[in-house]
Amino acid sequence: MSKAPHVILLVDDDAAVRNALKFSLEMEGFSVRLFATPEALLAENDLPAGGCLVIDYRMPEIDGLELVERLRSRGVTLPILLISGRVTRSLLARASSLGISDVLEKPLSDLAGSIRRVLDAGP
Amino acid sequence: MSETSIALALEAAEARLRSILQTVPDAMIIIDEQGRIESLSTTAERLFGYEADEACGRNVSLLMPSPYREQHDAYIGRYLETGERRIIGIGRIVVGQRKDGTTFPMHLTVGELRTGDRHHFTGFIRDLTDQQLTEDRLKELQSEVTHMSRFTALGEMASTLAHEINQPLTAISNYLKGSRRLLERMEGEKVEMLRDAVSKAADQALRAGQIIRRLREFVARGESERRIESLPKLIEDASTLALVGAREHGILVTFRLDPAADLVLADRIQIQQVLVNLMRNAIEVMSEGGAVRRLDIATSAEPDDQIEVTVADTGAGLAPEVAKQLFQPFVTTKRKGMGLGLSICRTIVEAHGGKIWVDSPAEGGTIFHFTLRAAADDRETEDA
Repeated sequence: MSKAPHVILLVDDDAAVRNALKFSLEMEGFSVRLFATPEALLAENDLPAGGCLVIDYRMPEIDGLELVERLRSRGVTLPILLISGRVTRSLLARASSLGISDVLEKPLSDLAGSIRRVLDAGP
Repeated sequence: MSETSIALALEAAEARLRSILQTVPDAMIIIDEQGRIESLSTTAERLFGYEADEACGRNVSLLMPSPYREQHDAYIGRYLETGERRIIGIGRIVVGQRKDGTTFPMHLTVGELRTGDRHHFTGFIRDLTDQQLTEDRLKELQSEVTHMSRFTALGEMASTLAHEINQPLTAISNYLKGSRRLLERMEGEKVEMLRDAVSKAADQALRAGQIIRRLREFVARGESERRIESLPKLIEDASTLALVGAREHGILVTFRLDPAADLVLADRIQIQQVLVNLMRNAIEVMSEGGAVRRLDIATSAEPDDQIEVTVADTGAGLAPEVAKQLFQPFVTTKRKGMGLGLSICRTIVEAHGGKIWVDSPAEGGTIFHFTLRAAADDRETEDA
């Protein structure tokens, strides 16, 4: 890992989840940027070259998979972790077809560990 | 027999037939082997809204909606060729179409009549719009769907509960995890105790998460049974059930089914439940008012083996703030109802690997869309 902290871009529509994940990831040494909606992330022009994205699946309007699709079509190649209250086989299949690195079920006991594994594996 | 007595006998036979057709309480239609209507009973005239001399000579497909209208000649042709009975002597619930374009569920029994080398077919029709009859005939299908609906409502509650409770649990366990990291960098006798307490609290949050997961798995057990199904057939069965009473509310129902959108991989009961739900919602909305009342059900084959189904109404439409969260549980625009219907539809469609969404066209009304995965066509053709 490089010296500069990896930037984690996190999208979840639930404020408590967002803030708690920011807190625990910062305690693990990551730098975290939060987005309350997929639209907010899509409006962001200045995405970092390193780090990864953590995206919640179940969000109103644009769901996590659709957001990933849009990011990919814009040429965003950052590794992506999908988080969801429920992980089904069909969700796993769709996630892997979009090249999502990992799918994690809430309540997320070790998000930092999963992020490290994904970052170590490279893009 | 002399020529005169033959003529007399013929005349008497025809008079007998006329009198039968005028008095038989069932709707009865006689067609020839080309599907042309030869005669129809007074009840049939009333039921379909055609006068006898207006209907006679025309193809009987006149009395059915698409896509059956286009296929009926092929059904007869196949029977004459193969002798294989799909409806003759069996009887089925099908959809009829009146002169004014409205459709209705009906029970059809077909008999065959041969004179010399010519075939005639007699159709006996019972209108199932009548509430009592409908209830008898559809009870089975209905109870199946209702049972499923309750079952899914329970599953939906568990799944919603799991989702809603998982969110605060995620927050709790991650605040605790961060706190533990923070405490690792601190020193002192009390810090040790605090670290221990925080770890134990985090374990308990995860335990709650496991309980939720087990509850959900318990409810979801043996839920879905997917087979290759004919989408037009699913729509036919679902509309038979859903369209009861549509005519009383002056609703015109149209079907636009893409012949290329045929076989899907689906749990029959669940997808019927989605269709029934969407159609009943549309009927309910339109029965509240509006000059134009049209329910349109359409299918189309899309790229990547996707099939799209739309259910469109000409009701009052949805307020944007309702449309946004329409598929969330416990959101409802009805005075009665728990707001689980569309949320169940979403659960079912997503479990099938599809998507469901809603459109509010500029010209008014509401269009619901959902997608299903097409199944490879490796099965013989279905039903006549």
